[in-house]
Amino acid sequence: MIGIAGCTTGDEGATAEPAQLTEAIGDGELILATTTSTYDTGLLDAVVPTFESAFGMTVKMLPQGTGAAIETARNGDADVLLVHARSREDAFMQAGYGVNRRDMMFNDFVVVGPAADPAGIAGGDSAAGAFDAIAAAEATFVSRGDNSGTHTKELVVWDRATSVPGGRWYQEIGKGMGDTLAQASQTGAYTISDRGTYLSMREEVDLEILVEGPLRGGPLVLKNPYGVMAVNPAVHAQVNYQAAMAFIGFCTAPDTQAAIDAYTANGSQLFFANAWAEPVDFAQYVPAGYSVDAAARLTAEDRQFLSWVDAKVPAGY
Amino acid sequence: MDLGAVIGAGPETTRYVTSIIRVSLQVSMTAVAISTAMGIPLALVTAFRRFPGRRLLTTVITTGMGFPSVVVGLVVLLLLSASGPLGTLQLAFTPRAMIISQTILALPVITAVSLSAVQAVDQSVRDAAFAVGATRRDVAVRTIAEARFGIITAVLAGFGRAISEVGSILIVGGNIVFTDGTSYTRTLTTAITVEARQGRYETGLILGAILLAVVLVINAVGAWVSARGDR
Amino acid sequence: MRITVEDVRLTRGEATVLDGVDLTVEAGAVTAIVGPSGVGKTTLLRAIAGFAPPAAGAIRYDGADLWAVEERQRLQLRRTVAMVPQDRSLFNTTVARNVAYGLGVRGGPLERLRMAVGGVQATDALAQQVTDALALVQLAGMGGRAARTLSAGEAQRVAIARAIATDPAMLLMDEPTSNLDPQTTAVIEEAILAAVRRGMGVIIATHDIHQAGRIADRVAVMIGDTIIEEGSATTVLEDAASPAARRFLAGELPL
Repeated sequence: MIGIAGCTTGDEGATAEPAQLTEAIGDGELILATTTSTYDTGLLDAVVPTFESAFGMTVKMLPQGTGAAIETARNGDADVLLVHARSREDAFMQAGYGVNRRDMMFNDFVVVGPAADPAGIAGGDSAAGAFDAIAAAEATFVSRGDNSGTHTKELVVWDRATSVPGGRWYQEIGKGMGDTLAQASQTGAYTISDRGTYLSMREEVDLEILVEGPLRGGPLVLKNPYGVMAVNPAVHAQVNYQAAMAFIGFCTAPDTQAAIDAYTANGSQLFFANAWAEPVDFAQYVPAGYSVDAAARLTAEDRQFLSWVDAKVPAGY
Repeated sequence: MDLGAVIGAGPETTRYVTSIIRVSLQVSMTAVAISTAMGIPLALVTAFRRFPGRRLLTTVITTGMGFPSVVVGLVVLLLLSASGPLGTLQLAFTPRAMIISQTILALPVITAVSLSAVQAVDQSVRDAAFAVGATRRDVAVRTIAEARFGIITAVLAGFGRAISEVGSILIVGGNIVFTDGTSYTRTLTTAITVEARQGRYETGLILGAILLAVVLVINAVGAWVSARGDR
Repeated sequence: MRITVEDVRLTRGEATVLDGVDLTVEAGAVTAIVGPSGVGKTTLLRAIAGFAPPAAGAIRYDGADLWAVEERQRLQLRRTVAMVPQDRSLFNTTVARNVAYGLGVRGGPLERLRMAVGGVQATDALAQQVTDALALVQLAGMGGRAARTLSAGEAQRVAIARAIATDPAMLLMDEPTSNLDPQTTAVIEEAILAAVRRGMGVIIATHDIHQAGRIADRVAVMIGDTIIEEGSATTVLEDAASPAARRFLAGELPL
């Protein structure tokens, strides 16, 4: 292991000169599975080169839909996974495919729509309430409809609303975030978007933020945390685990966290780094709901029974 | 890669665009070369030998022409994934995986069009070659020469299918670009999907125009070769 | 050279086309095989040329059974014979390259490469052989023409030149003049006789009795599925022994 020497203190904006590793880790390649929306913000293009030169690695970034990215990691075709879908990350870890999860950054979702706002949702403080208003007005709503992190969040909000989306006004288009915003803009429709993509496209679309996310006092349901984790080498022996851990260490290192905070698109900050928090968030390392005490107290039989319950009994039973 | 922001703005863009053109051509031309090497003999055998299942084979070939590229991509990825049967080859998300899937897509096109071309060669022409002392292999070579215009069409059709498809190479290649802007598995078509999904339609159209220009050049070369062979 | 067809049975698919066919042909003479259209003359010629083994019997070149020898030797035997098929059979290239084809395939890889690149001018010998063959069919100077631009008569003559250029011991011709005008027919018949003067044997399948009368030394009459009469041309044509042959030669359709 090598420490990154030469981190300058007190220099603002100056590029630090990290020490160079002379030997690459593993085969010198790190395959990073991530989502298209994360990739499209350009953040990774900004920070990954620093990782590459510090560790003498070549990073291959695979931008895919959230489901495909997780599947790629599950199959062992990637070394490290960076997504923003906590419940699916939890399932990924519970199933034994992911280890050493760390919080990396967060932002939020916003509900956007045309300035004319036919459903009158502007300035509301409830996402579910906004969705109900849209349904009542039968105003056009464009959904990504692709099981992405954004779509998952959208369904969570519909779940909390009383209306059920359907009919001619609700359009599932199966496209990426930027494409979806473009289509919503062209048809004067509402949609839900991560703030980052919206900000990076603000110049090109005719949409306003009508319901804010929690970064600006909006409802908490619209939170969007990102997690990075390594693929379990016990399941896939061929993954470059050391490089994955180096990458996770890099992403959560103070310099990179500062770079994440400093990254802007169209003049706005897209991400807020949260690897370090006071008090320390131990819950980031394990699947939500995991309890060491409970695990320790169980007999082998009880553990087996609980694993059956986990596997077979649906969540809403 | 924020192509839209830097388009026309210098060496980074040039390197990016040059590298995706290079990957597009390398992948598609290699796939077409392999498909042609396999497809022409296959066409000859199917045209001129009787064997059980010959009609079935012809149907399979023509069906393959219309097979959805994205399905081929899924099947190839499942085979090449680290969790799949051929995982030890470590080919997932590499240019070679793209060549494999495009070969599967181009082979039926090239075979079917070549088959039609060689079947159109008169039997008496083949007989004449044999009857002045040609071996069966000589007759096959002569048949290909007689069918050359149709075969050139077949190869160009196969190339067209390969260079313009996006479904399979997006899945098996992973659309990867290195941080210095050079492409590893990103082609013109998959680059257009990146621009399109980010809503940058104009940039997508520019890349589309470049793709069209590439295809035009290849077809012009094909026409020139055709004309030269018309002796 | 002597070609012997020995009790040969030929089938096409399920049907028996020829059965019990015996025929002996010598070089240096013209043998005409006459018979109604569709009787199997083409099938017999193809068998003699070595396209496929007969269902029964043997095809012998100077005593050697064509299908009892190894592939390599059979190729050498086949190359002592050349056949001109019935229909337009020229390759889609120049006249000269058509004529040189048989010579080209006999060459090794180096010669083929030279010919592919340099055409028939690749060697003087090659160019000379092509010129001679074209002269025999009275098409001197036509080497540069594209084959597909030729008339039917010219095309047939080029096909004959292509066969003759390989200097075969025996030349097989399937209905060489059946659709051609009298002038072209005369040129082709003259070329056949010139080939015989060079020492070649010619087997010509034709339904034109008069042609047989003009150029054949020997005539074999094919009716039904076999050769019913064979002998010197004058004997067969003027005084055939078998009644069926007499009826056919007199212009009646066979039973």
